[in-house]
Amino acid sequence: MLSYLYFKNLYDKNFDKWSLISDLLIRKAVFYDDEEFEGDKMIPVTARAEKLMKNKHFRKLLVNEIMSAKRSITGTSADNLKHLYVQLGLDKYAFDNLLSSKWHIKAKAIQELTVMDMHEYVEQISAYADDKNSLVRMEAQSALIQFNGFEGLNFLETLYSPISNWHQIKLLQQLSQLPPANVDMTSWFTTTNSSVIIFTLKLARIYQRFDLYYEIVSCLDHEDPAVRYEAIHCLNEIYTDETSDNFISRFLNETLKNQLAMIKVMATVGTEKDVEFLLDLLTHENDEIKVRAARALVQSNKDGMISLEKYSREQNQSINEIVMHIKGEVAA
Amino acid sequence: MSWQTFILHFFTYGILLYSIILLICYVLIGAFSISETRSYLRKNSFTDYRMLASSTETPSMSILAPAYNEGANIIENVRSLLSIHYNNLEVIIINDGSKDDSLEKLIGAYDLYKVDFFVNQQIKTKPVRGVYKSYNPVYRKLIVVDKENGGKADALNVGVNIAKNDYFVCIDVDCVLEQDSLLKLAKPFLESTNQRVIAAGGVVRIANGCEIEGGRLVKVHLPKQFLPRIQTLEYIRAFLLSRMAWTKLNGLLLISGAFGAFDREIVINCGGYSTKTVGEDMELVVRMRRYMEELDEPYKVAFIPDPLCWTEAPTTFKILGRQRNRWTRGTIETLRTHKVMFFNPRYGILGMLSYPYWLFFEFLAPIIEFFGTIGMIVYCFTYAVNWSAVLILVGVLCLGILYSIFAILMEVLTYNQYRGRKDILGLVGVAMLEPFVFHPFVVWSAIRGNIALIRKQNSWGEMTRTGLATAKKAS
Amino acid sequence: MKILVAEDDQLMIKMLEFRLKKDGHDVVITNDGRAAVQKLDDFQPDLVITDIMMPYLSGLEVVSAVKKRYPTGTPVIILSGMGQENVVLEAFQLGADDYMTKPFSPNELSVRVRRFETPVVK
Repeated sequence: MLSYLYFKNLYDKNFDKWSLISDLLIRKAVFYDDEEFEGDKMIPVTARAEKLMKNKHFRKLLVNEIMSAKRSITGTSADNLKHLYVQLGLDKYAFDNLLSSKWHIKAKAIQELTVMDMHEYVEQISAYADDKNSLVRMEAQSALIQFNGFEGLNFLETLYSPISNWHQIKLLQQLSQLPPANVDMTSWFTTTNSSVIIFTLKLARIYQRFDLYYEIVSCLDHEDPAVRYEAIHCLNEIYTDETSDNFISRFLNETLKNQLAMIKVMATVGTEKDVEFLLDLLTHENDEIKVRAARALVQSNKDGMISLEKYSREQNQSINEIVMHIKGEVAA
Repeated sequence: MSWQTFILHFFTYGILLYSIILLICYVLIGAFSISETRSYLRKNSFTDYRMLASSTETPSMSILAPAYNEGANIIENVRSLLSIHYNNLEVIIINDGSKDDSLEKLIGAYDLYKVDFFVNQQIKTKPVRGVYKSYNPVYRKLIVVDKENGGKADALNVGVNIAKNDYFVCIDVDCVLEQDSLLKLAKPFLESTNQRVIAAGGVVRIANGCEIEGGRLVKVHLPKQFLPRIQTLEYIRAFLLSRMAWTKLNGLLLISGAFGAFDREIVINCGGYSTKTVGEDMELVVRMRRYMEELDEPYKVAFIPDPLCWTEAPTTFKILGRQRNRWTRGTIETLRTHKVMFFNPRYGILGMLSYPYWLFFEFLAPIIEFFGTIGMIVYCFTYAVNWSAVLILVGVLCLGILYSIFAILMEVLTYNQYRGRKDILGLVGVAMLEPFVFHPFVVWSAIRGNIALIRKQNSWGEMTRTGLATAKKAS
Repeated sequence: MKILVAEDDQLMIKMLEFRLKKDGHDVVITNDGRAAVQKLDDFQPDLVITDIMMPYLSGLEVVSAVKKRYPTGTPVIILSGMGQENVVLEAFQLGADDYMTKPFSPNELSVRVRRFETPVVK
């Protein structure tokens, strides 16, 4: 074990040297000026670097550096990096890895090809969108979006495996870099995969898809409480004057978590006709519900504060502290 | 066969059997840890935490930092907490009735004013004297709570009551956190699709000897002093091997009180931190697990092996002894509160594996070691040297050292915080010395913890019983 | 032009430094927000480029510090991975003069920097 430690130490020293070489290569590519050179675009590579390309560990290091540079820049410089990547034949290595039987090698290859915009491999990658390994399918799905934009989301229609929240964040983040497009999402509401519905609801909320209002409302009756929760949140952005009625009629049968969410959203979607309902909640046994109901009352009606104070004065002294709390919030 | 030889054989074989089981446990822990760590590192290589930092869809988190007489450094500490990378974050500092000027200092430095605040007492606590927020929008994440003194558990419960967010992270206010620590800690909650992640623990490392500037770790060094250095090794072993292995089995019982994230809803349903034990961190995790087992819902306690939190370790035997004494009492109190789970198949891995392991190898190990060693010495003096017993002892010692060296190897292969051959050799040296210098002291502190508890039970018997009753009701 | 850069990512630093120096600017790099604010008096920059998520002081705090010290001059460009509306709004409210999100184009940055070279006539 000790001798192993020693060799590891030596290897690390090598590493520092290599990272200087790869740094230099990347800098040359990023600031490569097209106009200075005539004819075929070739990024100058030293003989030493050329020789090191045969070394697996050096390639790994170089690819990682190229990828992280590619991630933080756009425009001509980014194109030049891609050019360097292909010029060194790194995409060929990545394609070999794509066929590996080990999940982490396969997933890494997909990620690499995606970051480097290697559009020509989209066909092969799309086969992995519903892979049994979560990271392989995650990278493959990300790739589809990277290459095909919103149209790439079509894999959702037939997706069997769950999409974790983590992965949903990643996909949304990727989509946020693209110009919005109105793709048809109605069929995604009818799948049996709860996580797909939840993801679709997030998309509808973020991209303000008013055309999906009825689909969203129908999710309030979904059997999975997590889907209902997401639907409630979604209605915070996409609502009509009847939205609150949909909440009120389902309120008593909901879980506490979803009840709290409903009241929170009532602050946005509530109207004068809901005052009665919210005032009733001020006698609820759960203090959190009371606080949120009071807040919703004040935020959804311009006379909310007046009715809340009147109610507390005349009918329910015990909520006085809550009223003060809400008043403090309004003042801040 | 005389009764003396019978007792002698009974002890020798008993201890031999115990050592063999312990050895098997260590080998298994090593193996499980390798497998879990490898799969974590592979998965992690696909993670771009910057993406999480800029997303608005991340779960909301509250940092809870109880402070008692921390006036000397509180402003810097809070500043470092405020600079942590996370989007949906609130930082709640709970001033647990400090006798110094902590609160005044905070009010001055962060432009605070008292707000009307309704504290929803979901968990019963000591009264809150005031809640403060800042006029300055740059500090809008900050909430300072002033309350009457009630101890760490009570302060954390106040924080849980005031926190608005889905998850909370409890930390010691004097800890130094890595800037992306919350992003890393948030990830396990987001990743799981079929189990509810109820808590996530992070690695705590020893900050002694490291360069710290303005509440931020600049450079990692191995501590120069003997005690912190040996604790560095101890922490590496505990976090990198033992906790990783238990995570693999989903049987992790302890999340360090200095740094861990919890699902707030479940903590509230369980009744919050127990103020009746000195080991509130371990007790809470065990209670949350028990609650989930009784609900029959799939759940998980996650653990992140990245070094995320750095803390100052005790440098004197006196303080260290007090700390270990407290840990022992915490362990015993927790085990006693939840004794119904002992080899109870109703509680799955928790009852059949985690609980018995803690009972036999965390709680009983120091006792067995203590009496075993004393017994052997006494025997050697009165009768003759028993060579087979000495052989066992030497064997156990060697294996202990081997286990430590294995831990060092894992550290070098994974995070490699201590660069340079000198630091590594320093760690190896300490591993050789530990069984002779440090370990006996730890064992002795544990024994003293046991004694303290037995004494306390005689005088405070009444109080312990009520403690048990409330814990049962809550779970 | 004298440009003060506050950025904690090593790769970004290399790229920014190289590009800005190539454009003929005088560049000073700081690795965190506090160091940037400390450098202000010393270096008297004509322009500050800052990241948001940084150790000690965030980029937003750097903006307020710069604007407090030089109420009229010294523009600040924010170059951040955070593109959410609320952050952008807050940055401009605090007085930031321009906002770019990562991934960014070095060419675009170069042009935006040049815009601040001649004083804008109000």
